[in-house]
Amino acid sequence: MYLALREMRFAKARYSLIATIMVLIAFLVLFITGLAQGLAYDNASSVQNMAATHFVLEQGSNHRFTRSQVDHAKLEAAERIVGKNNAELLGLRMTTVVPFGGTKKVDVTILAVEPDGWLSPAVITGSSLSADAAGQVMVDQKLSEEGVSIGTILVDQPSGTKFTVSGFVRNESFSHAPVVFVNQRDWLAIQSQADQPVYNAIAIKGATAQGSELQAALPGMEVIKKSAAVSAIPGYKEEQGTLTMMIVFLFIISAFVLAVFFYVITIQKTSQFGILKAIGARTAYLARSVTLQVLVLSVGSLVLSGILVRLFEIALPESMPFRLGSSTFVWTSAVFIAMSVSGSLFSVWKVARIDALDAIGRAAA
Amino acid sequence: MKNRLELRAITRSFEDGGTARVILDKLDFKAAEGELVAVIGPSGSGKSTFLSVAGALLEPSSGEVLLDGEPINRMGKQELADVRLRKLGFIFQSANLIPYLKVEEQLRLVANLAGVSKTKAAERARELLDQMGLSHRRTAYPEKLSGGERQRVAIARALMNDPSVLFADEPTASLDAARGLDIVQMLARQVKERNKSAVMVTHDERVLAWCDRVYVLENGKLIEQ
Ligand SMILES: Nc1ncnc2c1ncn2[C@@H]1O[C@H](COP(=O)(O)OP(=O)(O)O)[C@@H](O)[C@H]1O
Ligand SMILES: [Mg+2]
Repeated sequence: MYLALREMRFAKARYSLIATIMVLIAFLVLFITGLAQGLAYDNASSVQNMAATHFVLEQGSNHRFTRSQVDHAKLEAAERIVGKNNAELLGLRMTTVVPFGGTKKVDVTILAVEPDGWLSPAVITGSSLSADAAGQVMVDQKLSEEGVSIGTILVDQPSGTKFTVSGFVRNESFSHAPVVFVNQRDWLAIQSQADQPVYNAIAIKGATAQGSELQAALPGMEVIKKSAAVSAIPGYKEEQGTLTMMIVFLFIISAFVLAVFFYVITIQKTSQFGILKAIGARTAYLARSVTLQVLVLSVGSLVLSGILVRLFEIALPESMPFRLGSSTFVWTSAVFIAMSVSGSLFSVWKVARIDALDAIGRAAA
Repeated sequence: MKNRLELRAITRSFEDGGTARVILDKLDFKAAEGELVAVIGPSGSGKSTFLSVAGALLEPSSGEVLLDGEPINRMGKQELADVRLRKLGFIFQSANLIPYLKVEEQLRLVANLAGVSKTKAAERARELLDQMGLSHRRTAYPEKLSGGERQRVAIARALMNDPSVLFADEPTASLDAARGLDIVQMLARQVKERNKSAVMVTHDERVLAWCDRVYVLENGKLIEQ
């Protein structure tokens, strides 16, 4: 477009200043988005990575695994509806373990799963869970930072049960604690009184159609989506809520900064727009010109801040939870651009109202 | 001789505190090819209103405006913008030029708006700037030009799309006497050579000698001197 780019070339200082502000805002937006995603993953990756689509929890448990109790009878009822291969018991306990011989305590989450079932994750080093090997567990890789390696013995504090680390898995944490996977026999061992093991939930695979049927077959139970289970993880909603609020505010700030900037320069240029209209430029042409400038600014600052964020990501320590996938990046960028353009609408409206008549009978304006 | 511009029984009034004030009263006007017509009159007599109506910027309350024999009364906003772009040229008092466009780009802009090809526009801009004695200022920004040079660029820009009629609104107001005369002479020469019509509103009595006809706007009518 003839006018938009030439004006930016001419008023370099003015547009560079606003571009700098936009780069900083866009950087913050992308960085906090990445942080939010990273924290979400660090918090809930074990549930997010499960092949389950729904969970069956006890009613009144507020979607929290730790508050819910289910038994074998409930599993059988669920299996009758969704099929034997699509329902599995899940045990969950948040606890503290001490590597044998050491004194340092580590918070972990114990997940009890069927060793050959679809809730059991793939091992990356060592050997996977087996149903009959007693006391053999798979643990999340993060525990290796605590000096845990294959063969290390972990002592569960409340029950005194000893586990031997037989393999490592990746990206398995719950409520920011690394996960220890145990088989069902060991799960029973850490339950002090019961002789019938009590689990916390039934994981269901692909039950969208049978949802209400499932609900009807399990009185006193509640069928919830995976996402509901994720946001009920302690701390998850609070973390994400705070960060989401920051991101929303940044979007609004960016729209406002652009709106004010373009509104002020549009008002400064009123007589100029009047002359352009008088010599035959259409309002649509001038409005496009303003919008194009906003697009150049917002897309340009996104590209720059995208590069900055990537550089930052490389420099960040490994333990810093930061994840900015390309789909999140695209989505965030699209919202950022949309907000910026909406910020320019006010100026476009102002341009539309300027009368070509202003050009006549006016001294220097 | 053909009439480039014709106003028939133009009336224009403004609402002023409940009563309508008639500024132009059944005004008739013609400008033929090759003619430079001056309109003078005291401040507030309606000169700018007259120029705005003739220049398709303001709708008359009644009456007809014809450009090259074609009435423009029924046209919509966009059509009128197109008429101004292709058939009319404007030279304003000052602040005429777009500050961030170089001299040549001021001219290329209107060609670009009218969809003229780049090579044709470049050629025409070069020719016009040569005639205005501005070849050496081609890549200067308006802020670097003198007042006289700015008005010459404005004349060149007004001629860029080969219009029928030129309108000049006190084009010499911000210039000293010698430069003012220069600008009017240049305008008169272009009008003659290119067979355009031009209407100039002015306060400047010294330039009237270069105009073919002079009108005084009084009580809403034009009276020839
Ligand atoms: N948009 C308008 N609304 C109301 N009155 C107007 C408007 N435009 C011009 N007038 C009035 O019309 C009269 C003529 O104005 P104008 O054409 O600008 O005169 P000139 O250019 O000769 O000084 C003035 O008294 C002015 O107040
Ligand atoms: Mg006036």
